[in-house]
Amino acid sequence: MTESKVSCLQSEASCPQSEASCLQSEASCLQNEASFAHYFAGIDIGSTMTKAAIIHGGIVWSVIGPTGPEQRKLAGKVMQEALKKAGLSFEEISYLVATGYGRINVPFADKQITEISCHARGVNSIFPQARTIIDIGGQDVKGIRIDAKGKPVDFVMNDKCAAGTGRFLEVIAGALGIELDDLSKTAAASKKPARISSLCTVFAAQEVASRLSEGAPLSDLVAGIHQSVAERILRTVSRLSVEKEIVITGGGAKNGHLVKMLAERLGAAVLVPQEPLLTGAIGAAMLGKDRFHAAPAGQLQKRPRNWGEVTFFN
Amino acid sequence: MAGVDIGADSSKAVIVANGKLLSRHIIPSGGNYKLAADLALDAALQKAELSRGALAGIVATGGGAGNVTCANRTSSDIVCQGRGVSRLHPSVRTIIDVGDLSSKVSRIDQSGKTSAFLLSGKCAGGSARILQVIARVLQLKIEDIGPLSLTSQNPVQFNTQCAVFAETEAVSRIAEGLPKEDLLAGIHLALAAQLYTLAERIGIEQDCALIGGGAKDIGLVKAMQETAGHEFIVPLEPQIMAAYGAAIIAGEVVAKK
Repeated sequence: MTESKVSCLQSEASCPQSEASCLQSEASCLQNEASFAHYFAGIDIGSTMTKAAIIHGGIVWSVIGPTGPEQRKLAGKVMQEALKKAGLSFEEISYLVATGYGRINVPFADKQITEISCHARGVNSIFPQARTIIDIGGQDVKGIRIDAKGKPVDFVMNDKCAAGTGRFLEVIAGALGIELDDLSKTAAASKKPARISSLCTVFAAQEVASRLSEGAPLSDLVAGIHQSVAERILRTVSRLSVEKEIVITGGGAKNGHLVKMLAERLGAAVLVPQEPLLTGAIGAAMLGKDRFHAAPAGQLQKRPRNWGEVTFFN
Repeated sequence: MAGVDIGADSSKAVIVANGKLLSRHIIPSGGNYKLAADLALDAALQKAELSRGALAGIVATGGGAGNVTCANRTSSDIVCQGRGVSRLHPSVRTIIDVGDLSSKVSRIDQSGKTSAFLLSGKCAGGSARILQVIARVLQLKIEDIGPLSLTSQNPVQFNTQCAVFAETEAVSRIAEGLPKEDLLAGIHLALAAQLYTLAERIGIEQDCALIGGGAKDIGLVKAMQETAGHEFIVPLEPQIMAAYGAAIIAGEVVAKK
């Protein structure tokens, strides 16, 4: 599993850390002394990756692990890893919010909140000027319009067709025999992106593989693929009225060339969080914190938590 | 007369005399459509013990029809398959062609003339390609998946129409220990549902025929029958209907002269 310790979310005035690693503006810093007494956790169980985040004041611990082929059964393990990194026991978490793909039942969470709300809250905490989120996930693509407070106001999604999702790039990488992480730099080397005629993942993979065997330059094909993905993503997202500032999140945001293609087509610079995979989990934890502080003393509803397996209902 | 149908996956040539089928030959199209056309045609001629000179007319059809340089004319595969199916099964009014790249539905009148048609998008999930994808995942030969699927008592419900996502679902269901025949039955039903929805959009009039490479899959035929609630006519050679129809048209063109 990969893991990272995200830098502090506190404002400069009250934080000893350097400005360079601060993710948040002073204006949106919601930290006060009271919040340092509590730990809040969020877990975002995606179709491909599970992301756990624990926040304490402004500090965030996080773990990213695979959801696993048996779907969701590893979620508890990812949360436990995060607890270990933070040096905490489960009982020290004041409130845990779960979110993710599909309708899931997370026995160790206090509450489940939709991933739209969690992403919106998470992105808002990092970029308060954000008004549109493009989340490029492993198996879906989402567009979310949010307001100044980080509440979602509109939403579109493609989760029916693999084209335009992380899966498309995975399949193409496999068909061309290159690593997923090498796609971006391979594409960037091209001076003449190829035009890929197939929209469908299966047929596009066949097309690039046969063109490669006919002698087409690899970088041109990969660049062409990035253009296809960008166009496909924007076809979904354009159903919203896209407003600046635009933030790209999800695994796809880690592909620099894809982000560049999107920005070019949008005709605007786009923002990418330092940890684009964590906005859902961070947002979940922060929504948990909001609920916790908003509830009158002793009246916060919590479910009995247990480490049972995450299941999902249709 | 000869009809040559150059499809994305396979090329078919038939030799016909007075409307009767003399011979046929099917080969993978490969990357070179012109070569495929020549190979298919010459092989079919050889089987009929004829030379090219014996042909009075050649009509080409399919996506690669333009590559058949010896053809007198080309005709759309939808028009051709309408004529071909109607000649063999005059009661048919709706044809569902399950190809490798896409699926097509057409309505024909009693003389085999096409009155309406609809194409699925070029989506592997809506064509016979999805069956190939699942066959590969289950490490089965494509010709075996149909009969095996018929042995299922408990078809799996697939939650997706996308071939790529279906592949993932199949992998995790296999990991859960589900039997292959249940997955196969499920994927056949999933494809049948999509085909049926496509057909409903232009209206289904019986009798209905199922043609194309996908129609050779007995599991799909059964799934279509279950989904539609009625029988489907499957010609003896469902893959050559467009080529056959092209050859019939060739005969008519020559007769007019």
